[in-house]
Amino acid sequence: MRPEPLVLGFDTSAAHCAAALLLGDRVLAEMTEEMTRGQAERLFPILEQVLSMGGHAWSDLDAIGVGIGPGNFTGIRISVSAARGLSLSLGVPAVGVSGFDALAYGTEEPVLTSIDGRRDQVYLQQTGAEPFQAHLDELPSDLSHTGLTVIGHGAERLAAHTGGTIAAPAAPVAVAIAAIAGARAASGQVARPAPLYLRAADAAPAADQPPKILT
Amino acid sequence: MSDTLTILGLESSCDDTAAAVVRHTPGQSPEILATVVAGQTELHAAYGGVVPEIAARAHAEKLDICVEQALDRAGVALRDMDAIAVTAGPGLIGGVMSGVMCAKGLAVGANRPLIGVNHLAGHALTPRLVDTVAFPYLMLLVSGGHCQFLLVHAPDEFTRLGGTIDDAPGEAFDKTARILGLPQPGGPSVEAAAKSGDPRRFALPRPLLNQEGCNMSFSGLKTAVLRARDALVADQGGITEQDRADLCAGFQAAVCDVLAEKTRRALATYLAHNPATPTIAVAGGVAANQAIRGALETVCDANGVAFTAPPLNLCTDNAAMIAWAGIERIRTGAAYDDLTLMARPRWPLDQSSPSMLGSGKKGAKA
Repeated sequence: MRPEPLVLGFDTSAAHCAAALLLGDRVLAEMTEEMTRGQAERLFPILEQVLSMGGHAWSDLDAIGVGIGPGNFTGIRISVSAARGLSLSLGVPAVGVSGFDALAYGTEEPVLTSIDGRRDQVYLQQTGAEPFQAHLDELPSDLSHTGLTVIGHGAERLAAHTGGTIAAPAAPVAVAIAAIAGARAASGQVARPAPLYLRAADAAPAADQPPKILT
Repeated sequence: MSDTLTILGLESSCDDTAAAVVRHTPGQSPEILATVVAGQTELHAAYGGVVPEIAARAHAEKLDICVEQALDRAGVALRDMDAIAVTAGPGLIGGVMSGVMCAKGLAVGANRPLIGVNHLAGHALTPRLVDTVAFPYLMLLVSGGHCQFLLVHAPDEFTRLGGTIDDAPGEAFDKTARILGLPQPGGPSVEAAAKSGDPRRFALPRPLLNQEGCNMSFSGLKTAVLRARDALVADQGGITEQDRADLCAGFQAAVCDVLAEKTRRALATYLAHNPATPTIAVAGGVAANQAIRGALETVCDANGVAFTAPPLNLCTDNAAMIAWAGIERIRTGAAYDDLTLMARPRWPLDQSSPSMLGSGKKGAKA
């Protein structure tokens, strides 16, 4: 990989289509459209536009960065599926970047990042720890850290709970994803991107019991 | 330049993730260079049916791997493809969307054209992939999610003569298996149990049999099986192996009778078109059932009409049929799709006949 990789990053894990083209740390082009539906139809036209705004073609790319969530299940799959297809056709790595890593990008640790999980639920990650899901009214007591920065959904309540300081993300989501992906791709082999759901599929085992078989 | 087309197909509309490469030169038989199907039966086994979210999760992480395998087995590169064909509906939207997005990524990266294919057209055109069947032919598409009679006039021209107004037969087989404590998928297990059963012991209904036209209903049949089982359980505390075999045989016979009678009627409409080589084709997983196949063949023999059924691996969901439908569409001069190609949960093949099933915001299902 070149010392300054050309990376296209994108994300549809929430109500937006976000894309950014980075050469090393330099943002060549960036675009975000807010939308609650239609990401599957808009994503590729937006990616093509960002590439052309940055003066590059698909074949110039060194890596793909993709947001893997957590967030909207369908939204996450839209981007992850696109990234996997692109990785195969372009012969470049696709790197999955979590929404937590994108929020924490460029902020000094320790950071508590939070993503909207709907109905007062949040997805949380403390720097270096496993992500989890929690209700905003039932937050775990061990979240406090000296010098903690809180970023993301429900930050005010999380800051009040932990005594941390609220901050905005240091970079737009797609910029952060592209930057992190570029660094990871340069450091070696990466696994195929996979969605980070943090929530099981909503499915109940069949309720009806089979009849007793008489012998 | 040769007229040979080599197409990559992707399919992910239900619980099979599939990729295939098909090549065709005009005047020659099409050639399936590779076909890969990754099923999900075990993922859904505990739920007694396909769970859309579980299916979508699996597709998203399997599609590109299936594509790699198919290209590898075919010994071709993505850039050698003349186009990439993908199921764009109808089906479970999460899976369809994953397929469409993966295909868009493949197409732009390899700089190849993209073509969105109707999953039902894939099934309906399969007879021409495996056999020399001329238009127009009569198609009975009978699977876990669909049941309809189609007059296939051309790769992009279908007339629906009728179909189920509720469950598809495959669904009824699965539910019957569950009611009787047989393993999923229900088709093979009900068929196996029926072999040692007496189809006349239980009087099960033949819904809509005496109603005009080619419409069918299978939901009441499954309920009748449930009632018969409950009566046995109330009586003797459970059901015996023989009870189960008899119920399976009775259920299967009812499905056969309905399909055979409705096929007779569809055939009458079809023959009025004076086809040069009258042919009935079946496709869909239920077409694998030997009793049903036998009943349909009897109808064909009695009417002097040829019967064709693709091999089982091309009857059930696969991507070779999607690649082939793509080839057929390209040959008719159809335009390629652009990157705004939409995944559609509902997409009736015959858009001119009045809708039969489903309505509202999502539109007609069939």
